[in-house]
Amino acid sequence: MVLGIALGAAVFTSVRLSIHASLDAFSRSMDLIAGHTDRSLIKPGGRLPETLVAELLRNPAVAGASPVLMAYVHMGGQRANPFLLIGFDPLLDRSFRNWRPAPGSPNDNKMWAELMREPFTLALGAQLAAKHRVTPGDTVILGHSRQQAPFRCVGILDAEGIGMVEGGRIGVTDIATFQEFTGNFGQVDRIDLRMAVGAGDGSDETLQAELPEGVVLARPEEERESGMQMIRAYQLNLSILSFVSLFVGMFLVYSLIALNAANRRSELAILHANGASARQLFLLFLLEGAMLGVGGWLLSVPVGSVIVRYMIQGVSETISTLFVRVHVDRLTLSGWEIALSFAVTLAISLAAAAQPAHAAMKISPKEVMAENPEIERTQSAAGRLGAMGLVAVALVFPLAAIPGPPGLPLPGYLATFLLFTGFSLLSPWCLQLMGRRLANPLRRIGGEPAFLAGRYLSTSGMRTAISVGALITASALFCALVVMIHSFRNTVELWAHQTVSGDVFVTPKMAAINQYRDPIPFDLMQAIQQLDAPADLLPYHRIYLRHRDVMFQFETVDLESFRKHGGFLWVKGEPESAAPAFNRGEGVLVSEVFANLTGLEMGNTFRTRIGEQALNLTVLGIVRDYRTRGGVVFYALAPFNAMFGNPEWGGVRLHLDRSVRDPDRALTALVSDLVALSDGRLDITSGRHLRRAILRIFDETFAVTSILLLIALAVAALGIASTLSVLVLEHRRQFNTMIAVGASRGQIRRLVFWEAMLMVTAGEGAGVLCGFVLSYLLIFVINAQSFGWTFQYRVDWGAVGLSVPLIIGAALFSALPATRLIFRIPPAVLLRER
Amino acid sequence: MPTPDSDPAILAQNLSRIYTMGETRVVGIAGIELEVTAGELVVLKGNSGSGKSTLLSLIAGLDRATAGTLYVAGYDMGSADGAELTRFRREVVGMVFQAFNLLPTLSVEENVCLPALLAGGNGRDIRKRALELLDWLDLEHRRQHVPAQLSGGEMQRTAIARALINDPAVILADEPTGNLDSRNGQIVMELLAELNRRWACTVIIATHSILADPFATRTICLKDGSIKS
Repeated sequence: MVLGIALGAAVFTSVRLSIHASLDAFSRSMDLIAGHTDRSLIKPGGRLPETLVAELLRNPAVAGASPVLMAYVHMGGQRANPFLLIGFDPLLDRSFRNWRPAPGSPNDNKMWAELMREPFTLALGAQLAAKHRVTPGDTVILGHSRQQAPFRCVGILDAEGIGMVEGGRIGVTDIATFQEFTGNFGQVDRIDLRMAVGAGDGSDETLQAELPEGVVLARPEEERESGMQMIRAYQLNLSILSFVSLFVGMFLVYSLIALNAANRRSELAILHANGASARQLFLLFLLEGAMLGVGGWLLSVPVGSVIVRYMIQGVSETISTLFVRVHVDRLTLSGWEIALSFAVTLAISLAAAAQPAHAAMKISPKEVMAENPEIERTQSAAGRLGAMGLVAVALVFPLAAIPGPPGLPLPGYLATFLLFTGFSLLSPWCLQLMGRRLANPLRRIGGEPAFLAGRYLSTSGMRTAISVGALITASALFCALVVMIHSFRNTVELWAHQTVSGDVFVTPKMAAINQYRDPIPFDLMQAIQQLDAPADLLPYHRIYLRHRDVMFQFETVDLESFRKHGGFLWVKGEPESAAPAFNRGEGVLVSEVFANLTGLEMGNTFRTRIGEQALNLTVLGIVRDYRTRGGVVFYALAPFNAMFGNPEWGGVRLHLDRSVRDPDRALTALVSDLVALSDGRLDITSGRHLRRAILRIFDETFAVTSILLLIALAVAALGIASTLSVLVLEHRRQFNTMIAVGASRGQIRRLVFWEAMLMVTAGEGAGVLCGFVLSYLLIFVINAQSFGWTFQYRVDWGAVGLSVPLIIGAALFSALPATRLIFRIPPAVLLRER
Repeated sequence: MPTPDSDPAILAQNLSRIYTMGETRVVGIAGIELEVTAGELVVLKGNSGSGKSTLLSLIAGLDRATAGTLYVAGYDMGSADGAELTRFRREVVGMVFQAFNLLPTLSVEENVCLPALLAGGNGRDIRKRALELLDWLDLEHRRQHVPAQLSGGEMQRTAIARALINDPAVILADEPTGNLDSRNGQIVMELLAELNRRWACTVIIATHSILADPFATRTICLKDGSIKS
């Protein structure tokens, strides 16, 4: 029992620690990169001219300006993990960021002087250098989409300031070297500014007005906040899921305290009769609950230390894949987290103990004299609670329909809470009804034991109802998540096959991680065009932009060619009616995520700016898309090229002609040709592999969820076992009376099994019903409010059905210790007790 | 297993039941020699702890002796296994308790029918027999009520009906009037006596009360687990 609580507390704390470690790592990296920057200049959809730095330094409001370029590059082979390479001017940057060489490296001035003086030199973070066994003076090969080039390491960064960005997996180089390496001559990604002391509030507006068209003045914390915002919904959802284990653990405490109270009923009556006050009895059980909570929490420390190791990896990988790149290098165990974990476990244990403690307080001292304790009268209470439950369930959908703040699914969670509350309140009434209606039919199936079990169920009172409520909670979550994950996977699979269509995908090296800032090199683009392959080429651009607080992808597509080989999954709008205006460049298609996060609807005007060009376009349709980062806006390729005169490709999909006789062989030949021409500067992925990778990432993402779910189910099964024990203890005298009047031990065992079966059936049945409602809320409300997407509703009957034998098996197994309790004391002794 | 020769209804020889609690041994009964002929109404008397209830439990097959032999209606209670004891309780004895021990979730009629249904009898026949018993015990109008709606006397009469549903040869009553007022106590004792007279049931009553004395064919006094007279 204590292990159950420990498991709940350990899961809750591990999930929080893991998410916080990822958030801390991300936040720390962003802060270290920002350094003492007050403002940053960026150009959405493009780069800034380096000449702007000199103009800025002449501006009296600006105390310092440092141009920065950043890109992920790889070292020591194509398969090596990419790391962040930062290029800046060591002199201009001196007052912006902290850095210094590690002990053993050349001294500070010499190292930076060497970076500036010697082309293709770099300094490495300690972690990265250690991983690749690089020491000052060594030469390493760095790879980028433009080229692969040798760099000489001139020093190792100390583990502070920039040296700790991404946990020390970083390299820095002089800006000129960076530009030469990446081919971005005269351009920078951003210019960091320190504002002059005394620059007033209006200095931002003044400065912005002086900037060239398309250049935006931003606060450095905006990017961090944007990243944190994206993770927040994931954090909230995972935290709530982890809380379920603890919440179900609450039922365990409840059951155990109730078991003790039932077992010691006569002892309590004696205590009461001998002067113990009702308050003292209440405190006695409340303290027992507190001790269970403290014991469970103490045990959760070693359990949690094991869980957190696996959890931290899973969570950080998911965050890196879906939201922002994080490198967790340490786990911070803050006093606040320890206190919170302890407080939540204790509070839940006390809350769980309160009802049985209250019941114990009500035990009359007269029971010392009484022969038969009063039977709990639940009939009217069950009806009243049932009516309240119906009202709660009826309010679920109206509440869910209330729009909530983006990324914070408050109405969805409130509706979920109301749903669980409603079903829990309905459970006493359902049990009563089941017991009454089913007792006689059950007699025909299972004889007297089944009949008696039905009768017991109808009068078993609130305690049984609460345990059944716990099972409803756990099985509803199981069912809902099974449906949600299945629907999600099904839709993603469909999306992957239809929208992520293509036989080969070609992108610049590390394009995704570098946000497609560099197009396919021109020479390679020409080589691909000249390939003698039986394939259609579908080039596209992908630009990362921001719409208010939402970071999204702006992608160009040749809709007609795209529709020949695949298509969008339309949520709103029709491909036929949208296509003409889209092809003319008069409108855009937006992903469901983008539409939900920005509130844009069909017919609304989407406004953005790419470089110097302002775009005002009508939303022609809303389509499904499961890339994160705020969704996607699709625009026609030809009008884009005409507008920007940009023949470069962000990437290209290749579709083999349908007339090809041996597609596998043709594909292999095509990939070989592409690899041969790429010179290590392109990522070439077969469509099949990419789609498999998407589904693998999907499965990995939900691995944590599935584990949390199984733990919640296990805890719920423990709850049923303890409830059965309570019931057996309460009915022990009656069972022994039955033995005295001719029942066999087998009949008594069957009675307990039937009782378990009925409880589980009630919990599972109501749970599955509740689960279907919850799955609707998860898919169409909570996911839409958290991440902006919904899925096509699909039920995996096999997996939902799997929970039935799983839970029933667990419950029947849990009935075994309960039956042993009956026969522990000889019937004669028990029946003699007055 | 019943022996062919089942002349005495109850035969106990050197019967003992010692309870062991850790290192402490508590004597329930020791060296009891008893022979009860079928059709007798035996009243067991004695103070609390004298061994009356222990003896009844052994006769009822709810407990096992630690020494000696016990035959009830031909059943060797020492060697009977669990299944035989269950059959014994269904077919041979009917029990009446001080605390009534009715099942609170069942109606009067269902409580009465329970032993026969547990024994696998025919539902319709059992209900018919139960209604006869309830009618005889003046409980017909209460048959749909649950125990909590009955008076003490009615509860004990229901318990008597339940004890009779399988037509047992032996009725065992453990302080049957302990929870009743004198008027209801008198009624219950008269019922038990009538069972003995009308159906020739062997009735063993363990009681402090003098209400049973006029009906007893034999009175046995127990003290510290042994028969004193």
